[in-house]
Amino acid sequence: MFVRSRVHISCGQVLLCGSFLKPTACWSEGVSRGGGAALRHISCLSNRHLRAKAHRLSARKGWHLQSGSVLTECNQEVLDHMGTTPLYCSTGAHVNGPLESVQLVPLIIPEATSQYMRKKLQFQAEGRLLRTHSLLSICHPAPRIVCVTPGSLTLLTHRLFSQSSSDRSSGRSAGSPQISLWTKFMVTCLFGAVIMGLWFYVHLEKEQQEKVRRQEQLKKLALGQGDFNLLDHTGRSRAKRDFFGQWVLLYFGFTHCPDICPDELDKISSVVQMLDKDRALAPVQPIFITVDPERDGVEEMARYIKDFHSRMIGLTGTPEQIKELGKAFRVYYSAGPKDEDNDYIVDHTIIIYLLNPDGLFTDYYNRNKSDQEIAESIRSHMKTYVQLFS
Amino acid sequence: MTLSPYFTGRMNAPTAEERKTCWGARDRYWQCLDESEKDTSECQKYRTLFEGSCPQQWIKYFDKRRDFLKYKAKMEGGGFQPQEHGSKI
Repeated sequence: MFVRSRVHISCGQVLLCGSFLKPTACWSEGVSRGGGAALRHISCLSNRHLRAKAHRLSARKGWHLQSGSVLTECNQEVLDHMGTTPLYCSTGAHVNGPLESVQLVPLIIPEATSQYMRKKLQFQAEGRLLRTHSLLSICHPAPRIVCVTPGSLTLLTHRLFSQSSSDRSSGRSAGSPQISLWTKFMVTCLFGAVIMGLWFYVHLEKEQQEKVRRQEQLKKLALGQGDFNLLDHTGRSRAKRDFFGQWVLLYFGFTHCPDICPDELDKISSVVQMLDKDRALAPVQPIFITVDPERDGVEEMARYIKDFHSRMIGLTGTPEQIKELGKAFRVYYSAGPKDEDNDYIVDHTIIIYLLNPDGLFTDYYNRNKSDQEIAESIRSHMKTYVQLFS
Repeated sequence: MTLSPYFTGRMNAPTAEERKTCWGARDRYWQCLDESEKDTSECQKYRTLFEGSCPQQWIKYFDKRRDFLKYKAKMEGGGFQPQEHGSKI
């Protein structure tokens, strides 16, 4: 760079603040050709941030800038934070004598379509401008120009817009990420809600399909085929068809059962009570069938089931009949070893069977199902039940 | 509290009342065992009560059940040690 004036100020680095709307500043490093160095540094002046970015700029050809009698070479072109639009050129000046103010002159930004063109034109314009020795006011997006004088700091606020640059600046503002946080948050929430909704819907569909598939499988299994002819706890003879038209909850157990059978029968009673509350539903028939016919006769059954739901029926019969029935329902049961009292415990599967009004096996519930769950399941079966036989 | 009629050799199944008595005695006995981990002699009186309230078969059954529950708790607590030497699976 060369200087033709008596006054030089060295402005080696240009400091740019956060966005193009923030003021820029010149950071001088105290370079002096003549040897004496005065460090003048100005902080980046901004209403909001005190942070600033420094941009190293590539050297350009020297420009002449004349300000009054001062002609200094502008050797650095300062670009805005996006590195596209030159804001001004920085001048370097030699500190050697009384200083005049050096103005950081914003470069003109002519109407141009491409960045490169813009730059090019700008150089040309600048050259022209400078050569015509005129201080130009500017076209550039709302900068604040800082005027640097030794020991003092003057801030010149300049809102120098040309029509084109203001358009560009607004265009640029739309382009730059100034969408409010609130909008972003709302959009994200909406997106999330949509995705969750979709997932939920798919989940429900899947559950529905699972249910249907399970029902098909159980129907295929077709447990409990064949008739039975047993005695109930009142001594009356009962066959399967006696229970057609009713939903039946079946449980296999024995009266000498330590804890499981009473628990399960209590559960069944509770389920039936729950379903009884709903007047719209048909009453469910609970049935207790013994797997220990040797000991559980009619009286024993009567004595046993009176502790449970009033509608409960107990069924017993000969060992062969029970065996047949057990086979039909695939009930495992096996009497344990007898002790001195001839007492024994019968090991057996712990399952509650649901039969529909056609007498067909519909569903089963194991020990893990609570009474609520069973009631829900029965309700849903009742809803989907289509009568096969009138 | 009367003793269970099982000592008379009756074959009838326990009634609901008798069941409840038996379960209560069992629960108290098990509670005592839980509380005094090492010193099980303390629970002897509960044991006697328990044995008096329940049929013999039930006592055997409940003892097995307790063993199973303890074992299950141990397994769930991560006490399983797989054998080093290979199994014949």
